[in-house]
Amino acid sequence: MNSRAIPTNVIRIILIFIAQVLIFKQITFSLGGFASIHCLIYPMAILLMPIKANRSLLMVISLLFGLALDMFYDSPGVHAATLVLTAYIRPLVIAFLEPFDGYNIDDVPTLRQMGPAWFVSYVSIILLLHIFVYFSIEAFSFVYFFEIFLNTIFSFIFSFLTVLILVFIFRTKY
Amino acid sequence: MYNVLQLFIKYGAHILFVVLEFLCFYLIINYNQDQKLIFINSSNLYSAKLSQQQARISQFANLRKQNDSLLHENANLIENLISIEYASSKIPAADSSLSQYRLIPAQVCNSTIHLRNNHFTLCKGSREGVRADMGVISSHLGVVGIVRNVSENFAHVISLLHSQSKLSCSIKNRAGHGTLVWNDMDPLHMSLESIPKHEKIAAGDTVITSGYSTMFPRGILVGKIESYKVKPGSNSYEIKVKLFNDLTNIRYAYVIQNRFGEEQNKLEKEVTNE
Repeated sequence: MNSRAIPTNVIRIILIFIAQVLIFKQITFSLGGFASIHCLIYPMAILLMPIKANRSLLMVISLLFGLALDMFYDSPGVHAATLVLTAYIRPLVIAFLEPFDGYNIDDVPTLRQMGPAWFVSYVSIILLLHIFVYFSIEAFSFVYFFEIFLNTIFSFIFSFLTVLILVFIFRTKY
Repeated sequence: MYNVLQLFIKYGAHILFVVLEFLCFYLIINYNQDQKLIFINSSNLYSAKLSQQQARISQFANLRKQNDSLLHENANLIENLISIEYASSKIPAADSSLSQYRLIPAQVCNSTIHLRNNHFTLCKGSREGVRADMGVISSHLGVVGIVRNVSENFAHVISLLHSQSKLSCSIKNRAGHGTLVWNDMDPLHMSLESIPKHEKIAAGDTVITSGYSTMFPRGILVGKIESYKVKPGSNSYEIKVKLFNDLTNIRYAYVIQNRFGEEQNKLEKEVTNE
């Protein structure tokens, strides 16, 4: 693993946390009274970790990161549970999207290194799953399936566009 | 023992996942419903402090809007000051150095709005110069009521929203005057009666006080004409007026002191006694 990976990721986690809590938490609005749109960009903190990063370590980081977010969202455990699940399924998605010649040990799942097609499918699969799980846990019952579905679709579109814009602005190497 | 260790090495991530999810769901179930038990969010000083800072910054961003509303209010005040000045310029020149009307600012300590006969209590009384039968306007300039009773430190005001309230009003830039009364229980609307039907009026006209009493000078804003009609067989309009003032939400008011009010009343009484 590259020696610059650790400081880069630490700084990225902190910046994403601050951005999510201070900026994107405010961007919560309802669309015509039937769907409430949340802008969730923080899964990127876990998604952009090196490909061969330790799964258990990622889950522990996700738990702490999620709990810190929950303090600001006043919803203890909801974000943490969602993010731990995201960290858990991340290796599966990475394996699913594996190119013919496999990954290098140093590979980082960034737009620059993996190319736009791989990156977009990788982020959209995990982000969609993350947002769906988030709204499901928030509602805590599948009675509200229609609302969960609508919220997921609209929030996913909004968050995904935001993530893409951010990724194009900050073209990090690691 | 070795087998257990091997199990952990092989399936460590999955076991950890299950444990962490259990932990999270424990938190969700325990702390999300019972507000009493929430200590992880609101008791957290750091998040509270950061949120506070953020609130201060967003408040700063709102300053422009607040400034605008203050400016608007100021403009209104000055505009009305001019109209009061205009009204008082008709007084004999001997006393021109002193204006006829003086405003006494007062805080509203108590008010009712939902009764048939509503009242206010002001936190200023005879000690500050408030007397019975003085007019009261609010800080947004609009008639609020008339002082009925005064004690040393408090004044009791009959609100406009009173079944017996009658205010002599006219319409800005039009002739004629009528009486403003409160017929229906709607705290935002009043009706203006006995404006003769040969006068021309239009919806949207401004209703002001007529100045035909010692309580209010001419030109204090009252409301806006919302709709009007002529009852068949009647000689005057029936006008629905929307008040500028939201009487349900008044914190400060000004009592109008008329320096020549007593003199005028005395003179008029002498004439009627003859």
